[in-house]
Amino acid sequence: MALEIRNLHVAVEGEDILKGVSLVVERGTKHALMGPNGSGKSTLSYSLMGHPNYLVTEGDILLDGTSLLGMPPDERARAGLFLAMQYPVAVSGVSLYSFLHAATSAVRGYGDQSDTATRGRFNAHMMPMREFRKEVNDELDLLKIDPIFLRRYLNEGFSGGEKKRAEILQMAMLQPRYAILDETDSGLDIDALRIVSEGVNTLQRELNIGLLLITHYQRILNYIHPDVVHIFVDGRIVKTGDFELVEILEEQGYEWVRQELVGGQK
Amino acid sequence: MDKTDALIERETESSLSAAATSQVLIPGPEAVDGLSDLYNEPDWMRQARHAAWELYESMDLPSPKEEAWRRTDLKTYPLDSVRVTFSARELDGIYAFPPCWDYVLAPVEQVSGVLVHCNGARTYAAMRRDDVQNNVVLEGLHAALATHSDLIQSYWMKGQIARPSFNKFSALNAALWHGGTFVYVPRGKQVARPLQSLVAYDAAGGTGLHHTLVIAEQGSRVTLIQDRVSQDEQEELNIEVVEIHAEAGARVRYVSLQHWSEQRCSVTVQEAQVAQDANLVWVAGSMGGKLTKDFLRSELSASGARSTMAGFSFVHGSQHIDQSTYQHHRGRDTYSDLLFRNVLRDRARTVFYGMIRVEAEAGGGTEGYQTNNNILLDEARAQAIPGLEIKARDVRCSHGATVSRVDPEERFYLQARGLPRPDAERLIVQGFVRPVIDRVPLAHMRQRLEDEITERFWQ
Repeated sequence: MALEIRNLHVAVEGEDILKGVSLVVERGTKHALMGPNGSGKSTLSYSLMGHPNYLVTEGDILLDGTSLLGMPPDERARAGLFLAMQYPVAVSGVSLYSFLHAATSAVRGYGDQSDTATRGRFNAHMMPMREFRKEVNDELDLLKIDPIFLRRYLNEGFSGGEKKRAEILQMAMLQPRYAILDETDSGLDIDALRIVSEGVNTLQRELNIGLLLITHYQRILNYIHPDVVHIFVDGRIVKTGDFELVEILEEQGYEWVRQELVGGQK
Repeated sequence: MDKTDALIERETESSLSAAATSQVLIPGPEAVDGLSDLYNEPDWMRQARHAAWELYESMDLPSPKEEAWRRTDLKTYPLDSVRVTFSARELDGIYAFPPCWDYVLAPVEQVSGVLVHCNGARTYAAMRRDDVQNNVVLEGLHAALATHSDLIQSYWMKGQIARPSFNKFSALNAALWHGGTFVYVPRGKQVARPLQSLVAYDAAGGTGLHHTLVIAEQGSRVTLIQDRVSQDEQEELNIEVVEIHAEAGARVRYVSLQHWSEQRCSVTVQEAQVAQDANLVWVAGSMGGKLTKDFLRSELSASGARSTMAGFSFVHGSQHIDQSTYQHHRGRDTYSDLLFRNVLRDRARTVFYGMIRVEAEAGGGTEGYQTNNNILLDEARAQAIPGLEIKARDVRCSHGATVSRVDPEERFYLQARGLPRPDAERLIVQGFVRPVIDRVPLAHMRQRLEDEITERFWQ
């Protein structure tokens, strides 16, 4: 049971960004992926989720043994993959509540929505309101989010911190088996970082999530303690180790990795 | 239901309905007399009809060279097939209403009055007791001519565009109008809940020639929700005029919905006169019709007048909707705001031609805004032509238009949360028209519009 990335090569607009990434995230384990700006970390997360602009030119992505390539993003999500985005997109006119209700219903398999027999009766596919409401309220408590938040339009006018909390709220409702958190720590103040991290830890434990945490900084890793740490430079994982690696990195910066890389190549 | 809340049903005019069964009038001076005789109309109306008929005969169809008609081809508009059909059947009450149209009406306990027309004949009318006691009127226009003739005459078709000579279509409506909605709210009276008018044509319906006249006197307050439905088995026409008068300080909300069958071609001329310090909220929603040409105009005729126009349309197949809007500022400190949002699928087409005109005497504090946004799916096409004509100083006006596709990043985000692509697009589109839908009163009506949009995605 794992999210397995095998020798993944990805091109964006004809330019090779990922140059052979291999990584196995077992259910229930926590991996951190650290790397400098522009190293391709976000390309990796978008490619895993199936963004149409990211072209896989070689390799494979397997979720519990099933290849995700060829699946549109929604199928990947329903298969149990979640991506907390670095820059969540605002969708005007769609309340967080109705969006969460629709998404939760879709992921938990409340009927195939393309079924023509239920034409025009979308609510027939929806998770029962009362049940949904109760669950959302529990998750709001966990993440210390004001319920009034649900009435706002999705990510519209949200502060950086609010967006990140809303991402984790979605993760809580969608109950993925594997989750990628793409710089969830950016834009969070110290209190929000603690609340969000504790929320992630609780969810990770309860749902036995395989977690891939993408970040620049050590900060969040003090709260969400990774089992494995990878260092990502120029479209590849160049070093894998335990938490000690984080501390070295924090002290010596990515320059140290680069030098070691050059040294290794000699 | 509380007794005071109950709607009081009015007697249906049995003699009229009996006489009206299955008559067809071919347009002409005889048809004018036929209508005036049938409804026992006052002389002034008979004369007005005749004058309009003469005008109609003397006028040409609008030229495709005219700005308002450049993008809508009248060749597909078979004006020679106009026929005034009567096939009214009496309804015992709201519960005898054809079930397929039932969903159109809001629950009776949420409205102050209901008026239903079927094939041009008034088939149902009911009002809450309080409003009847306040002398508020929601009635078929033919019946109202018997009780409010002078009042109607003093307002009849004197607008900038709501006049017989505006074009061949307004002339035809003035000559042969058949079936009408009359709303009258006396000075200072408030109608607590929306009034509801349904204009329906069944398979035997014939040409729609409905005429709506709303008179909201000084300081009064009223909401009218008007909906249009039809079940056409062949191509049919609709030639319609709407006149709204918001007198000084009145607050009028007009929610105008259009659900014609996709075999109905329609030209409408709709005008609101907004007097000093009056406030008009106009919401227009269009889902139906084969070919639709609407002229929508608000006349801000005195200082402090305000008008907010919001519209949405969702068209598919080969539907064509062309809307010309006009915000006319003639008083100081007047304010107008317009937001029209269209969603187009398949090979559908919309045209938006919007004008804000500020006269010299309207300088000083006047503001006029206009926005038209379009989302295209499939092979659809939208054209937006915004315009400003400003003759005054010290005014603030702006206009803008966009034509775009569903944002791929928004779609990816929603898909990444498990929503299949059609559902993701549906949510985005619903969000897009939400600012307009939100202005529709009654949760029932909003929900219905949302459901219809959902349904459009499965068609």
